Amino acid sequence: MIEFRAVTKRFPDGTTAVDKLSLTAESGRITVLVGPSGCGKTTSLRMINRMIDPTDGTIFIDDLDVRTTDPAVLRRGIGYVIQQAGLFPHRTVLDNVATVPLLIGWGRRKARARAAELLEVVGLPAAMGARYPAQLSGGQQQRVGVARALAADPPVLLMDEPFSAVDPVVREGLQDELLRLQSELGKTVVFVTHDIDEAIKLGDTVAVLREGGRLAQFAPPDQLLAEPADDFVSSFVGRDRGYRRLSFVGSDGLAIHPLRTVALGEPAPPLDEWALAVDGAGRPRGWLPPSSTVDGPLTEDALRPGGSLYTKGGSLRGALDAALSSPSGYGVAVDQAGALVGGVVAGEVLALLRSHRDDS
Amino acid sequence: MIHDLVKYLSNPRNQDAVVHLLLVHIRLALVPLLIGLLAALPIGWAAQRYRRVRALVLGASNVLYTVPSLALFVILPSIIGTRILDELNVVVALALYTAALLVRPVVDALDALPAHVLAAATAVGYRPVRRFLTVELPLAVPVLAAGVRVASVSNISLVSVGALIGVGGLGQLFTEGFQNAYNPPIVVGIALTLALALVVDLLLVAGRSLLTPWQGQRAGRRRLVGAA
Amino acid sequence: MIFSELADWLTDPANWTGDGGLLQRVAEHLRYTVIAVLGAAVVAVPLGLAVGHSGRGGTVVVGLANAMRALPTLGVITLLSLQLGILRVGPVLLGLGILAVPPILAGSYAGVQSVDRAVVDAAAGVGMTSWQRLWRVEVPIAMPLLLGGLRGAVLQVVATGTVAAYVGLGGLGRPLLDGLRVTDYPRVAGAAVVVAVLAVLLDLVLAAVQRQIVPRGLRLASRTVSGVA
Repeated sequence: MIEFRAVTKRFPDGTTAVDKLSLTAESGRITVLVGPSGCGKTTSLRMINRMIDPTDGTIFIDDLDVRTTDPAVLRRGIGYVIQQAGLFPHRTVLDNVATVPLLIGWGRRKARARAAELLEVVGLPAAMGARYPAQLSGGQQQRVGVARALAADPPVLLMDEPFSAVDPVVREGLQDELLRLQSELGKTVVFVTHDIDEAIKLGDTVAVLREGGRLAQFAPPDQLLAEPADDFVSSFVGRDRGYRRLSFVGSDGLAIHPLRTVALGEPAPPLDEWALAVDGAGRPRGWLPPSSTVDGPLTEDALRPGGSLYTKGGSLRGALDAALSSPSGYGVAVDQAGALVGGVVAGEVLALLRSHRDDS
Repeated sequence: MIHDLVKYLSNPRNQDAVVHLLLVHIRLALVPLLIGLLAALPIGWAAQRYRRVRALVLGASNVLYTVPSLALFVILPSIIGTRILDELNVVVALALYTAALLVRPVVDALDALPAHVLAAATAVGYRPVRRFLTVELPLAVPVLAAGVRVASVSNISLVSVGALIGVGGLGQLFTEGFQNAYNPPIVVGIALTLALALVVDLLLVAGRSLLTPWQGQRAGRRRLVGAA
Repeated sequence: MIFSELADWLTDPANWTGDGGLLQRVAEHLRYTVIAVLGAAVVAVPLGLAVGHSGRGGTVVVGLANAMRALPTLGVITLLSLQLGILRVGPVLLGLGILAVPPILAGSYAGVQSVDRAVVDAAAGVGMTSWQRLWRVEVPIAMPLLLGGLRGAVLQVVATGTVAAYVGLGGLGRPLLDGLRVTDYPRVAGAAVVVAVLAVLLDLVLAAVQRQIVPRGLRLASRTVSGVA
């Protein structure tokens, strides 16, 4: 684990970047540092691997003061991922990933073999190893950066706004990848971001820092949304926090109703209610409004697009959103394979919430 | 040494000679600088705009710049009909040289102009020539100024080497001193060349600041890696 | 003087072979160039790399390089020759060396400075020592500008190497100056042409060397970056 004990950083020009920060990042968990610019989150991160040294206070990794180790040696045991990836342009992707193993003395063959393994772990094709960073897209470069950080299997991973420079679609994919990797590898991760939604999605614990480098709140994301410590945290967390909190509430006990269905490719008689059209594999393809007349076999043109899908067993937020976004008032519930399970009703989601609150 | 130097400088005939050589040197170095710059602007503009012109121009200027200037001084007369030591010969040769040197900075400077600024200028209603003169050129000044500074030092030094084949200017002090095994003219020549280069450089920097009032003094310090 | 006279002179083998022939002069000229440039590189490359890597002293070093650029080579060489005696190679090599230092110094310094700050940060972050960072990351990336500086230096020294003849030594300045003295213009022009061709050839060779040495990844990187000021 990583412990900050009253860590302060004052720069020569008088600014205090970090002010008596004390917190503990637990082993095997993702701890996120989040806050507006000037809150000292990057400075704090960079003090862990001694890219910057504190003015006061101490940082411990597994009860060892980081200042007692030579910085270069310390950093070889810590993975470090930065926003622009910082890949070495003059080396191939494979050699980039093999950097730390080579530094600590592995043979070239062993290091490259390990690098190839890691490319697979981060979801890149093996052929990419022979390319140069300039030939990769931003998202691919970030993945290589993560692979490079993981190459020597360090117990600690530091990530400084690693996904901020890529577009939102790619960013979501990378976030999901990180969560998947973490579930397999269980590293101690300290992650810096300015995006509160990213913090809530990724963090096991979130530290909200305010300008001047002071800690405003250090709590699991659920608690951050439910009980923000003060006005700053509450406004930083943003609107809709009641709704967003639903991501953390499970949907056990939510009733799933059978839905009227029609099959694509078969004739559909007019009905007096909404019907869900499914394909051959049982996957929902859209809604057929009541009293529609369809000539011949049912095709997708006759359908109204459906709302978001709720995966059974997921959070109440998924269920509520499915119900709210559906044209028929029934949220569509599917299983892991995407096949229809049934329908959920918004009112019942809220009733379930109320009963949770009554119970606690 | 100092004694000899003082003796040399207190002789009014020497003083006249030195001043005369300095003026010739200034003329021979700076007139081509101006001509070369004026020539490089339209050529560079064309090269930046049209791909084929660009490859041709950059290639030609590269070759021209590679040819030693002394060689140019000597060969040019056969082409333009002057004699080697004619001032016109030297000026033309150095103007060609300066133009070849400055074409690249002109192209680079125009390349670096932000596209949205140019788009805004066109949208406001500037026609191409006016846009070039009033928007593109001023913004290109910093990069151009750097190139002109290099060219000015280069020209000043080239005129002095020209003394080998008899070209006028401060270089003659070196040949005179060497032939008479007499130090003072050489020392005076070196000092004046340095002083001239310095003054011209300062003037160019001042000129650049005058032409770019929107640019303050930037420290431009890069962030250093922290511990070790 | 017409081109046919020049052509005749250049194609006459007598002018090439033998004592004082062009081949000998070219060899001498090359010798001066190589020694002066190598000597300058030995001083300027480490200095430029050190200052660029540490980030300190940049303004001083750049100022020094610019001041050296303004030193007139002919003046330096004549002065030194008078002190140390003519027909000695020392003054010429020193003068040409001073000429070669600024471009090499500027090239090495600019080369190291041109490394993307994120790459430097990453190099430190993965645990490279300062030395490792310099040699494994900064120097390879600095290569294009460093070699560019060397090329520029070679060009300047070849061009100015004619001064060696003025103080009594060899090189391609010999036929140039001798020819002037006896108004043998084909000889003068011939020497000038050979100097020019030599300069162009050397530049082409160095350009090819540069292409070979510069890591492929860097060439790709500079091609994909567009419109960077």
